[in-house]
Amino acid sequence: MSVKNRETANVGAGLWKGAGMWAWLFHRVSGVVLALYLVAHIWVISTAAAAGADDFDAMFKTLESPLFIVLDLALLAAVVYHAINGIRVILFDLGVAIRQQKALWWVVIGASVAVMAVFAVISFSYIASQGS
Amino acid sequence: MRQETVRLDTGGMWLWLLQRVTAVVLLLGLAAHVIATHALNLGDLSYDNVAGRLASGFFVAVDFSLLAAGLFHGLNGLRMVLLDYGFTGRAKTFLSWALLLVGLALFAYGTWALWPWLTS
Repeated sequence: MSVKNRETANVGAGLWKGAGMWAWLFHRVSGVVLALYLVAHIWVISTAAAAGADDFDAMFKTLESPLFIVLDLALLAAVVYHAINGIRVILFDLGVAIRQQKALWWVVIGASVAVMAVFAVISFSYIASQGS
Repeated sequence: MRQETVRLDTGGMWLWLLQRVTAVVLLLGLAAHVIATHALNLGDLSYDNVAGRLASGFFVAVDFSLLAAGLFHGLNGLRMVLLDYGFTGRAKTFLSWALLLVGLALFAYGTWALWPWLTS
């Protein structure tokens, strides 16, 4: 087993401190959630599609109910954080801004909140329009 | 800058690189997918609506690259996580093959479900 020391800011298992730890932990937990969701997503969509147009439209009726719209927002939060923090991780892989990793994480959080605010407005105005 | 001890033999260089490449594919494709389904067509999603989108070659390309890149990135990501928790030797080999089979099966299932739209 080859073991080497290298300089890193992308904190992995075994190094357990500070903003980098939370960035890594959120990335890992959201990643596992998204991987499991992806399997369910393909299964549900494909099964409904194969069952025909009526079943497919019935599925969308469920998925566009307020409960599922709110669940969608939780899913989107995982997607948006994982995607934007993923850009941060790729930057470090390219050797860019490693020493600014802590500040960059707050940029990731800020950008995630901003994107989620837009989707929250879209989602809740849709829910409101459904009720009227 | 602190030093971290990193085991370099658990993942594999090519899988690591593909994880980065599929990440970029997903950044672009998933943005299109999420905006199309969650922002632009919310409340309007139906069999016909999806059929209309899949009539364009652009969305067929987006959907198939998403299916392939998403499955690879997700399952290889799970593999990377599990390798941190004691999967070595034969368990690692078994894990890798099992996830590959799951990925291929779900790709086939997703393709099979898209087929009626693509051929009609």
